[in-house]
Amino acid sequence: MTKTKTQSEQRPGRAGSTDILGTNSEIGRKLRQYYDGLVSEDVPDRFAQLLQELDQAESAAKPE
Amino acid sequence: MAVSADFKSGLLGAIPNLRAFAVSLTHNTDRADDLVQETLVKAWDKHESFQPGTNLKAWLFTILRNEFYSQMRKRGREIQDSDGIMTSRLAVHPSQHGSLDLEDFRVALERLPEDQREAIILIGASGFSYEEAAEICGCAVGTIKSRVSRARTRLQELLGISGEGEFGPDSIAAQILGTAV
Repeated sequence: MTKTKTQSEQRPGRAGSTDILGTNSEIGRKLRQYYDGLVSEDVPDRFAQLLQELDQAESAAKPE
Repeated sequence: MAVSADFKSGLLGAIPNLRAFAVSLTHNTDRADDLVQETLVKAWDKHESFQPGTNLKAWLFTILRNEFYSQMRKRGREIQDSDGIMTSRLAVHPSQHGSLDLEDFRVALERLPEDQREAIILIGASGFSYEEAAEICGCAVGTIKSRVSRARTRLQELLGISGEGEFGPDSIAAQILGTAV
């Protein structure tokens, strides 16, 4: 995936803050508050377990 | 080729963001977690198609989004419809205290059309550039820009906020697109 950006889309500071959703925008602030709240939730153990199982299944299938 | 340790730790590290995006799409934690699980399994299976050094998070978001829409097609519109009924019962009030309540914001966000909601989340919250968001959604950069602009306008309407960015280039874009209030 390329990382080309035009000047107007350069994100100052925090990623994702654009002109219309910048730090002075109430919508932009609420959006980040909403999303950051979700990101900081505790992650259920099932995902780490899942990755471990996938890992074990792989090494069982392809012994080195 | 074995799955590399970098790839594994990348998957682990991306989980909180994948969950946040999944909840934004589904409005439902259980469905979101199933979606994340499906995404991790798919990513594992096709790890060879990921090019190391490119944006793993964007790659994973693309998988999650595709999985979400393929599940939606399988289930028909039932989930969406029930969401619509639920959210229409919840009135959104402009704040009386000057500062917008987060719950009001969440309800308003859920009322956006999916394409607008995912665009404003990817750009305004997940930290992707317009180009990355366009790749994730499989559309043109200009399409993402107009979806973000319409989403913001709609949120302002729903939340009774006025006066933000009235004179910016996006208000001109909104007029051209016929989405101005």
